[in-house]
Amino acid sequence: MKLRKKILLLTVTVLCISFLAGAIYAMTEEEKWTQFEGKGITLNFLTEDTPAAGAILDLLPVFAKKTGIKVNVTRTNVGDLVTKLMLELGSGSSEIDIIYAARWQIPPAYSSVLVDVTRFNNDPTLPHIPMDDFFKPHLISTSYFVDKRRQIGVPHDASTLIWFYRKDIFDKYKKAFMAEKGYDWTPGPNLNWEQYKEIAQWINDNVSEVKYGAGHMAKQWNSLYCDFSNVFWAWGARGFENPNTESWGVIFPGRCLWDSPEAIEAAKFYKDLINNVAHPSCPSWDWSDLAEAFAKGDEIAMSFNWHDFVVTFEDPARSKVPGKVGVALAPKGKDGKSHNYYSGAALAINSYVPEDHQRAAWLFLVWQASIPVQKAIFKKGSTPVRKSAYQDPEVRQWIAEKRYPGAGIADVMYEAWKPENLEYVEAKMPMFVETLIIQYTELAYMLQGLKTPEQAMKDIVDQVNQATGWTDLQEKLKQ
Amino acid sequence: MPILKNQQREECVGKYKRMKKIPTEFWMVLPALIVLVVITVFPFIYTVQLSFKHYPYIQVQSHIRRVEWVGLDNWIRMLTDPKVGRYWIVTLKYVLGALSCEIALGIAAALLLNRIRIFQDLLTTLSLSPMFFAPVLVGLLGRYMLHDSYGVYSYFAHQLGLFENISIFGDGRTALLALIALDIWEWTPLVTIIVLAGLKSLPREPFEAVSIDGANAWQRLWYLTLPMLKPVLLVALIIRTMDILRYFVKFLITTRGGPADATKIVAIAVYDQAFQAWRMGYAATLTLSMLIVTIVLGIVFVRFFAGMGQE
Amino acid sequence: MKISRLQRKEQKAFHGYSLTDFLAKVGLTIILGVFLFWWLFPVYWMISSAFKVDVSMFTLPPTWIFKPDLSNFRNLFATKGFSSYVVNSVIVALSSTTIAVILGSLAGYGLARGKIRGKNHIAFWMISTRMAPIVGMMLPLYILFGRFRLVGTLRALILAYTTFNLPFAVWLMRGFFLEIPRDVEEAALVDGCTKLQTFFHIALPLAKPGLVAMAALCFMFAWNDYAFAVIFTSGKTQTLPVACQRLMTEYGIVWGQVMTTGIILVAPVLFLGIVIRKYLVRGLTMGAIR
Repeated sequence: MKLRKKILLLTVTVLCISFLAGAIYAMTEEEKWTQFEGKGITLNFLTEDTPAAGAILDLLPVFAKKTGIKVNVTRTNVGDLVTKLMLELGSGSSEIDIIYAARWQIPPAYSSVLVDVTRFNNDPTLPHIPMDDFFKPHLISTSYFVDKRRQIGVPHDASTLIWFYRKDIFDKYKKAFMAEKGYDWTPGPNLNWEQYKEIAQWINDNVSEVKYGAGHMAKQWNSLYCDFSNVFWAWGARGFENPNTESWGVIFPGRCLWDSPEAIEAAKFYKDLINNVAHPSCPSWDWSDLAEAFAKGDEIAMSFNWHDFVVTFEDPARSKVPGKVGVALAPKGKDGKSHNYYSGAALAINSYVPEDHQRAAWLFLVWQASIPVQKAIFKKGSTPVRKSAYQDPEVRQWIAEKRYPGAGIADVMYEAWKPENLEYVEAKMPMFVETLIIQYTELAYMLQGLKTPEQAMKDIVDQVNQATGWTDLQEKLKQ
Repeated sequence: MPILKNQQREECVGKYKRMKKIPTEFWMVLPALIVLVVITVFPFIYTVQLSFKHYPYIQVQSHIRRVEWVGLDNWIRMLTDPKVGRYWIVTLKYVLGALSCEIALGIAAALLLNRIRIFQDLLTTLSLSPMFFAPVLVGLLGRYMLHDSYGVYSYFAHQLGLFENISIFGDGRTALLALIALDIWEWTPLVTIIVLAGLKSLPREPFEAVSIDGANAWQRLWYLTLPMLKPVLLVALIIRTMDILRYFVKFLITTRGGPADATKIVAIAVYDQAFQAWRMGYAATLTLSMLIVTIVLGIVFVRFFAGMGQE
Repeated sequence: MKISRLQRKEQKAFHGYSLTDFLAKVGLTIILGVFLFWWLFPVYWMISSAFKVDVSMFTLPPTWIFKPDLSNFRNLFATKGFSSYVVNSVIVALSSTTIAVILGSLAGYGLARGKIRGKNHIAFWMISTRMAPIVGMMLPLYILFGRFRLVGTLRALILAYTTFNLPFAVWLMRGFFLEIPRDVEEAALVDGCTKLQTFFHIALPLAKPGLVAMAALCFMFAWNDYAFAVIFTSGKTQTLPVACQRLMTEYGIVWGQVMTTGIILVAPVLFLGIVIRKYLVRGLTMGAIR
């Protein structure tokens, strides 16, 4: 009896102590957020000028009030952003706490310098984000690099190239087109790329409201690469040997596959599209120019552009086509799937800053991914990255009413981000930008007629293999 | 003991005298010299040693590449890469096209302004306006006014039947011309004002003498005015050459290297290699080549004009 | 009295009263008019576009007469932090010009007058530093400034601008001082002035046109720079050219505000140019012979 009593007493004591300890040390949700209050922490946040950033900027006072942390936001264009970040992170500087991890350049080069947020997410003294509430393709492509156990960021935005078209024109001439060509030309993934070209040509010849059917962002720059990627994947071409290159990321991508028959076919199609069918100014347009042309109302009837541009198109002050804009997924490729180039990025934390700054930064990351802030992004004209934001009843109301431009296209975007549709992103590897420059330069030569598609692709492969070190490896193996 | 003291005293006096011999002017030059050395010597040395490295400026992650001394690899690559040759040709076209027009038009404008009697001052200042525009703004305005769809210049060109189906910035043939035109617009006034000042300081006698001898305006211009303007033209040429190779912001704003590298001057190539591809070593090599070319050009111009000035 | 043919020719040369001369004058005036139109039309276009609302800016044929709209200006001044762009630009341009003027004129005088061994080599080296490509200096300077925690501050920018303003100042001032005859200075020295006094009270006033022109140009180069500004500044320390470029947003170029920002970018320098126009023309070529 005595022994059992002792054990019982011991157990109860232990339970009491642990309960007390738990009560003392477990933080309430509220406390997790206010633990930095009064410590005078100021965080520096460097980001690209996106609607998501705009939404966050508007709500910053809310964050400051909730947590007592001040955040200084610097918004800049993507080129300068990358330059500054590379200089920052490469020199070990701890000026910037939170960074917009531009996906091409930052994770491949600096993933080891970005904080692994898994430990913050699992830390009981810090608020938590359910990571599976993000679209899986977004998560993998923006927040991981090579190492599947190390999550280096939290998805932040999700610009995707989507098919914009003039609803009014497509409605008006639908019968005429169907009479001549025999099919319903309403844009969507049920059409294929050849039909897209045919539609563009038909509009060139028969529609008087616009000068040309299609516009493309074929400027010798990132824009050309992004635009071409849709066609490239649609033809079934892949970039590199290593299958992880276009998802988790790799250090060594293996041989470049841009000279495969599919890739050359894609290049030929693209050249024909740009040189013979699309608006002649395409080689001077990047996405802003393309958006401007589409918004002008009399230049082009269709364009593939970042879905965030819907806010420009629906703004009567900046566009002549509000209310006339339709959105659809890209035409299906040879594999029957619709590939829409995705260009989102995550927010990451600079590991060179002190620990308390890192934890404060994590609070910011959680806050910007929280449902209220994500919903606010709709108001700024873009679309959130949390799946549950789309299911929220208030949001469903907005979508039904098409109250905000972002809400108007939410369903299409949701579709575009499903894993079966978003299988590939561009190659995630350290030397990506170098290969990017090679690729868009050679493609530009092709478009200007200075090289045939075969020659351009061959040159791409030669130079890219040189840049990735594949050529050197082959030579070493030969020895 | 007294002898040593004398010796010491003499040494002190000697040192003092030597210090006094350092001219005051040297101390005047010293501050500028120190500042310049500090902020230019380090970058220069850094760039030179960078050109011998393969330095992707990636912190870790470089399993394939480590920071390594590759000796002359970057230099060899630069000298054998056909793309680099193309960049220099584009740069040459740009420099020659812009400079020749700027000098010619600048002289013409200066001669004209010199003849105006009323409001010469005001007109001169007004014609200087383009010079005051920041390159960023020139690029943006150029993009706006030469825009295929809504640019006012493109509109006029289309009315005249030019460039109807050609995209000015989208076609390799016209993109570089457009940028040369922008440069000419911006910098001809600088040449104008330098030449104008030179014209004003020319002595009258030779002109009077020559016109009594029966020379007409063209002869006066060609055989008298221009040769006497040579020193002034040299100043203009050197100032412009120094800057034209360095300024790349216009290109960034408009074509970023242009349709198929048609406007990819070497400075843009350096920018891409350094800040996009992060091949810092190679970028350093290209930078040094730009520096060498600028200095050589400067020396060539000085020798050329100094030689011709003997006539 | 009968005027000889020679005398009549003289008359023509000096008074230009013949018909051909008149036609030539008209023709040349027209050509000058074309020049002026070519130079000033973009200025006019920029100013007039600033008063147009975005969508109407893109209508063709261009509208010459329209109702001016001030919304671009309103948007501009409503932009948070716009005044800081202007203030930053002013601070940086003035500071860098001051450094260039003070150190540059001292050094220029020293190199022009002093008996220093290798002074021509020093002079040439100084000028060659201005030839350094900006794009190549961005990284090393960033590292240098990073070590001293200067990145993101205006001081870094001022130092960066000194890399091209100071050599320019030294080169120009040296040329100006070489031009000025030494007699007055030597007289002063004989009278017992120190070299520094000679510099301040005699040489510098004589070189005033050159000094003013040089200062104005230094101010202009610093005010207009974009490449260094975008690298070394952030957020609160950004300058006007960076603000201008930031109008090239990912969502399109906000042309209306580009025009208004452009006006603000050009106006001070233009005003400066007008104010010192007498000096500008004379001053730029004072050192021309060298």
